[in-house]
Amino acid sequence: MAVMNAHEARMKRQLLVILLPSMLLLLAFVVYPAIYSVYLSFTNEALTGAGALRPRFVGIRNYARLLNDAKFWNSLLVTFFFVVGSAIIGQFVLGLVAAMALGRSIKFGRIFSSMILLPNAAPEVVAGFMWISMLAGGDNATLSRIVAFFGISPSDWLNTFPLTMIIIVNTWRGIATAMILLMAGLSTIPKEIYEAARMDGATSTQMFRRITLPLMMPTILLYMLISAVSTIAVFGMVYALTRGGPGGATELVSIYIYNQSFTAYQLGYGAAVAVVVLLISVLIGIGYVKAMKVEV
Amino acid sequence: MAAISPVESANKAKGDLLAYATLSIISIFCAIPFFWVFLASLDGNAQLFLRWPDQWTLDNYLKIFVQEDGGKWLFNSLLIVGSTTALVMVLAGLGGYALSRTTAWWKLPFLYGILLIRVLPPTALVVPLYKILLSMNLAEAAVLRPIFGSSTRAIMKWTGFIDGYLGIILVLTAMQLPLALWIMKTFFDGLPRDYEEAALMDGATMVQRIRRVLVPLALPGLAAAGLFSFISAWGDFLLPLTFLSSPELQPLPLGLFRAYLRVNTVDYGFLAALAFIYLLPAVIAFGFARKFLVQTFAGGVKG
Repeated sequence: MAVMNAHEARMKRQLLVILLPSMLLLLAFVVYPAIYSVYLSFTNEALTGAGALRPRFVGIRNYARLLNDAKFWNSLLVTFFFVVGSAIIGQFVLGLVAAMALGRSIKFGRIFSSMILLPNAAPEVVAGFMWISMLAGGDNATLSRIVAFFGISPSDWLNTFPLTMIIIVNTWRGIATAMILLMAGLSTIPKEIYEAARMDGATSTQMFRRITLPLMMPTILLYMLISAVSTIAVFGMVYALTRGGPGGATELVSIYIYNQSFTAYQLGYGAAVAVVVLLISVLIGIGYVKAMKVEV
Repeated sequence: MAAISPVESANKAKGDLLAYATLSIISIFCAIPFFWVFLASLDGNAQLFLRWPDQWTLDNYLKIFVQEDGGKWLFNSLLIVGSTTALVMVLAGLGGYALSRTTAWWKLPFLYGILLIRVLPPTALVVPLYKILLSMNLAEAAVLRPIFGSSTRAIMKWTGFIDGYLGIILVLTAMQLPLALWIMKTFFDGLPRDYEEAALMDGATMVQRIRRVLVPLALPGLAAAGLFSFISAWGDFLLPLTFLSSPELQPLPLGLFRAYLRVNTVDYGFLAALAFIYLLPAVIAFGFARKFLVQTFAGGVKG
C-alpha cells in the first residue's frame, strides 16, 4: 500500500509538471497583464514625453477624465449597438433561420452550409478588404448595383451609414457560429414532440413558439453570452475597414483603446479604458461560466 | 408513413421551397465577397467592384513574389503561425492530459479560470502586454549587447519580445491556449484509461506512456486543437500590428493592410491576389476543421 501511495504521489507531481508550462504562459501573458492594466490605469504612463521617462502615480485622474470624455462614451455606445445589432440580432436571426432550414434535410445542404461557413474562415484583414469593395461608393459598386434592383439609389455606403454597414459585415462573418450552435441545440429536441403537436393540429408558428423556442432557451442564452464577449473583442476587421471613422462613427471601444494607446501614446489612459472593458467582459464571462456547468 | 395526406405533402413542399429560398439568399450574401476577390485577382484591369474580367492574367500573383516582398510576408506568416500551432499542440496536449487525469484540488479552479480567461478581449490586454514585453525586451538587450555588440539586433530579430519572432509567437500561443486546453481536456475525458493502465502495469515511465500510448490516441484531439489555433492565429491582426514594426518581420496581414494604405498606387488586382493567397490556407484548414466544429462550438456549450 505504501508503495502504491508513493507511486500515486509521483503521478500527481508529474501531472502538475506537464501542466506547468501552460500555466506559466497564461499567467505571464494573460493573467498578469490583466492585473497590471489596473496598475497602469492609475499612472500617466506614455510612449513618448514625460510619462515615458518618469511615469507617475496619478490616482484616479484617468478615470475622472474618462467620465468627461465624450469620445469614450461614444465608443461604448457604438460597441453596444454593434454587439446588439450584429451578434444578438443579425447573426442570431440569420443563424437560426439557416439552422432550421438545414434541419429539413433538403438537397445541397452541404453546399449551402459550406458557403455560410466561408466568412468564418476569412482572416480579419481579408474580410475588411473584401467589404471595402462590396460597399464602395459609385454606381458600379457591388452593393449599389444590388440595391438598384429594388429601386434604391446608390450611395457611398461606408460614409453614409457607417455603423449599419459594420453591423452588416460582422453579421456576415458570424452567421456560421450561430448556425452551428443552434443546429446542435435543435438536434437535441426529440422529433416525437413535433409529431404529437402536429397530431393535435398545431400550426408551424405555434410549434415554433411553444416547442422550439422554450426548449432552445439554454442554448440561445449561452450563444448570446459567447457572441457578446467575442463581439466586444472584434478589432481587426473593423479597423481594416474604417479605422474607426468617419468621425468616430465606427470607433468601437477596442479601436478607441488602440488609438489612445498607440496613436496618442497615452498608455495609462488606454489602460483605464481597457480596465472598463475587462470589467464588462468579466461580468458577462461570469454568467457564461455559471451557465457552463463544468464537468470534472 | 404511407398515409400522408395531400394537404400535408403540399405543406412540406411549401416549407422546402421556403427553406431553399432563404438558404440561397443567405449563401449568396456569404459568398459574394469571395467571388470578387477571386475574380479581381485574375483580372488584368481589376476594379473595386465585382465584374467579369475581360483579360485573364496571372500577373497579379507574379507581382506579389517578383516585384513585392510577398514571399517574405508569406514566410513570416508561416513561421510565426506554424511555430505557434506546434507550441500550442505540445502544451495543450500535455496540459489537457493533466487536466483530465488529475484529482488535485486545483483542477476545478483552473478549469473555471481558463473559461474566464477566454472572455478577456485581447484588445484590452494589448496595452499592459506591450509594457511587459517592452521591459523584457530591454532586459534581454541589456544582457546581449555587452556580449554580441553590434550583431545584437540580428539575434533579437529571432529572440526579441518586441519586433522579434519569439515575442509574437509566445503571445499568440498564450491567446490560443485556453480553447486548446479545453478541447484536449474534453478529448482525454472521453478516452478510456485502460490503455494507460496497461502501460503503467508494464512499468512504462511517464515519457514512454506519452510517446507510445497517448500521442497516437490523442491525434484526433490534437488535430482539432491545432487546426483551431492555426485558423485563429493566422487570421489575427491586432497582435502583429502591435508587436511587429520592422518590414522584414511583417507577416501577410500587415503586408496586405499596408499595401492597401499606399494611397498613391492602389492596385486592386495585386491586393486581391495577395488577399487570396492569405485567404487560402485559412479556408483549407477550415475545411479540415469542419468536422470538429460542432464538437468545439457545442462542446464549449456542454463542457
